[in-house]
Amino acid sequence: MAQESHLVLCVDDELVGLRVRKLLLERAGYRVLTAPSGLEGLEIFQTEPVEAVVLDYSMPGMHGGEVASRMRQTKPEVPILLLSAYIGLPAEVISLVDLYMTKGEGAPILLGKLESLFQPVHARSGNGAERGGRESKSIQ
Amino acid sequence: MERNEGAVNLSQFNRILRQVFLLPVIALLLTAGALYWQIQGANATVNLIQESDARITQATLVSKLLVDEESGLRGYETTGDIRFLQPYLDAQDHLKKEFQKLTDVAGSDPEQVSYIADLQDKQQTWHDAFAVPLIATVRAGGRTSDVELNLHGKDLMDEIRKDVGSIIHVAEQHRAERIAHWHRQVHTMLGALLVLALGIGVLIGLFTRSRLHAVSDAYSTSLDVLRRRAEEIFQSEQRLRTTLASIGDGVITCDADGRVQMMNPVARGLTGWTQDEAQGRPLEHVFHIVHETTRELVENPVAKVKRLDNVVDLANHTVLIRKDGTELNIADSGAPIRDQSGATTGIVLVFRDITMERKTQDALLANEKLAVAGRLAATIAHEIHNPLDSVSNLLYLMRNGATPEESRQFMDMAEQELARVTQISRAMLGLYRESKAPVLVDLREMLQEILLLMERRFSDLGVTLTTSLPSNLSVAAFPAELRQVFTNLITNAAEAAGRGGEVRVSVSPYPGNSAGSQKMPEGAEVVISDNGPGISEDVLSHLFQPFFTTKGEQGTGLGLWVSRGIVNKHGGIIELTSDTTDASHGTAVRVFLATNPTINAGGD
Repeated sequence: MAQESHLVLCVDDELVGLRVRKLLLERAGYRVLTAPSGLEGLEIFQTEPVEAVVLDYSMPGMHGGEVASRMRQTKPEVPILLLSAYIGLPAEVISLVDLYMTKGEGAPILLGKLESLFQPVHARSGNGAERGGRESKSIQ
Repeated sequence: MERNEGAVNLSQFNRILRQVFLLPVIALLLTAGALYWQIQGANATVNLIQESDARITQATLVSKLLVDEESGLRGYETTGDIRFLQPYLDAQDHLKKEFQKLTDVAGSDPEQVSYIADLQDKQQTWHDAFAVPLIATVRAGGRTSDVELNLHGKDLMDEIRKDVGSIIHVAEQHRAERIAHWHRQVHTMLGALLVLALGIGVLIGLFTRSRLHAVSDAYSTSLDVLRRRAEEIFQSEQRLRTTLASIGDGVITCDADGRVQMMNPVARGLTGWTQDEAQGRPLEHVFHIVHETTRELVENPVAKVKRLDNVVDLANHTVLIRKDGTELNIADSGAPIRDQSGATTGIVLVFRDITMERKTQDALLANEKLAVAGRLAATIAHEIHNPLDSVSNLLYLMRNGATPEESRQFMDMAEQELARVTQISRAMLGLYRESKAPVLVDLREMLQEILLLMERRFSDLGVTLTTSLPSNLSVAAFPAELRQVFTNLITNAAEAAGRGGEVRVSVSPYPGNSAGSQKMPEGAEVVISDNGPGISEDVLSHLFQPFFTTKGEQGTGLGLWVSRGIVNKHGGIIELTSDTTDASHGTAVRVFLATNPTINAGGD
């Protein structure tokens, strides 16, 4: 659980999913902003002091990979967790983001990954690498 | 048979035979004529010689009579006895006649005639001037020993003798000349005969030789030609035999009655009959073919070729039942063998095993079905994982303490999301589950399900979709197959439209018509159109061919080919029109489906 309330931006075109995810994260102690599309997400990202982004990959108009790359251009320090309903995302998209996971893996994993984004670099990398390694295996 | 310069035809040969027969006959006739003419000449000469002989004989006779006359007169003169005078009188009697004979014998020779006339005169003179006065003197008993008188008589007689001598001499001379002439004639004749015989012999020899040469040349040329022909025929037959043996298709030749004459190795392998077993049997025993599904006997190819009197492709979906009872799918064709007059003297049957081809085709169709599903995999994964994500998050929230009010709300949301999954799953299964017989398919329902599956794809591609789907429009069909067709066509349209493009899917009832050239039953028309760049003419003509794709690695090139197969099987029509002009570019595919179609079990 986060001690101080981190501000997280969730971007997804699945409105039900977005609503449930917001609830879940708020219960976990985060402050949550939501955006139903990539463009709106980028706007909020610019204006608000967002500390982490939970980004859906598959969205009409602008997909998650593009959104992530624009976010990196403006605030490269903000960690990004990429969610995807697909398996087999393009490698260049994976390399852009800090962590990624497949939708439907369950809330504990989502929360765990998000939390790891706020860990000091060494801990995050250890934790992240472990989880990331497992994930990348299952992905590839 | 081509005319060869060395060859002799029968009429030429007969002419040569006639020539060889006639030439010696004509030559011998000419020789005989010449010989006859020569002999005639010789005969004339012999006649002249005989004439000369007769003249000499006559002259000698006259000479003897003159001697008799003179000796009779002398005896009478000496003795005075009248009896001595008898020879004189006899000769006197004869002489007149013999002189006449001598003149006759002399013929037309004027010299001889004048000699004879002269002789006759002299004899008359001797007679009148010496003999008659002397006899009168003796009779009167006068003196006759006067030397002067007797000398005169002797002179006269000498003259006469001299004349007779000359006559005989001339005649003998003539005779000698004529004999010489005759000799010359005989010589000439012999010579001519020899020359003629030699000439004719040589002529006949040369002529016969040249004619025989011509015949013999012609004969040897004919032999050469025959040998060459035989060689050519042998080679040609070998070539055809090897071709036939090496050919990959089965070949059976039959006589006009449909009895098997020859089978190549492939035909033997496919039918299971050996050449010896099959020889002379009716074709339908050896080549036993039935329809793939109906199992009805297919029309005997020999009968069909005879009936149509042309090359025929035999029925599709033919199964060959081999000698051991196993079966092969085959494709075959038959052709008549004609003689020079065009009459059918036999039938050639060519066939091949398409079992593997058929299996490959089936595998391709199954593969394409999977490929359609594969193309939908992303959508399906997305459509299942999103609701799953929400549901699992909701469950987590409920487990970690939620108010009853919240829980009810969460459960409603979870139910909604699960319903989505069920819908997706049904739509997906619809692609695979197939009924045995056609069922009534509501086109609106089906298209909506398909569009649901593709919703994500449309949004990914940034394509706007508009629909016009009236309810209560159903056709009898195999639903999974129709789904495959529409999924395929809508995917194509969406990809063609591209980002910012539009796809329109509409269904309308088709009342059917019985007028016009094409009779159309009642049914429905589904139109899927896009406003993409359109398809160029040269691509358009290939679109329905298998393995033709404009999508590179991404496409199998089977989509439209399979779609058309399915629509045809449903007795429907699929048409594609495209426009590449700037103003109104786009492509529209129309699929007509009859309400109660006759399903073609064989498909294409």
